[in-house]
Amino acid sequence: MNGFLVWTSTICLMAMFFSAALCLYRMIIGPKAADRAVALDTLSTVFIGIICVMTIEWFLMGYHSAVVYYDAVWILTLVGFIGSAAIAKYLQRGRLF
Amino acid sequence: MSAVAGVLIAATMIVGTFLVLIASIGLVRFPDVFCRMHAAGKAGTMGISLIIISSVICFAGVDNSILVRGLLAIFFQFLTTPTATHLLARSSYVRNYSLTDRTVVDELKGMIPSTPDETYVEE
Repeated sequence: MNGFLVWTSTICLMAMFFSAALCLYRMIIGPKAADRAVALDTLSTVFIGIICVMTIEWFLMGYHSAVVYYDAVWILTLVGFIGSAAIAKYLQRGRLF
Repeated sequence: MSAVAGVLIAATMIVGTFLVLIASIGLVRFPDVFCRMHAAGKAGTMGISLIIISSVICFAGVDNSILVRGLLAIFFQFLTTPTATHLLARSSYVRNYSLTDRTVVDELKGMIPSTPDETYVEE
């Protein structure tokens, strides 16, 4: 069972790295700043997924101390929200505060 | 880990990854910034919730602090992602970012003053 789950999480990691590449592409070519902000938000979401799946894979491969990386999941959510809200306020008013 | 838990972990992980991938493809292929926010705000939230649920199932009975942290992450994700998307959509509407030419109806036309407070030099 563990081998099957390790293969599944490897394939999911490949798909999520492809998603991160697509977000980076939109962040590079995005015509306006709001496109780049949306791409940054989605990129932080993809990174949360990558951390979750990598924690599962390392745990199933025997590295039981990989659980410590799991704190990054909910912290990265809040940090991504602060970034998006700051960019939105800056776009709307021309200044941050 | 029992076989049922393994199948549940694999199923939620695959579906969540598929939804995140759909969000990224929509981010690249949709025509204007509001459509891109639609793709990123809906599919991404659901997909990341399913991935976090799969990790919670995987660590159930091994490390119970993962359950609290995972549910906290899902709660914050559902709280923050639609809020950030709404803020960005409103500010980009105020900045007069162009809608696509396939737009059928624009219900906010004339409702929001579409001039920003101070002058802002576009990049």
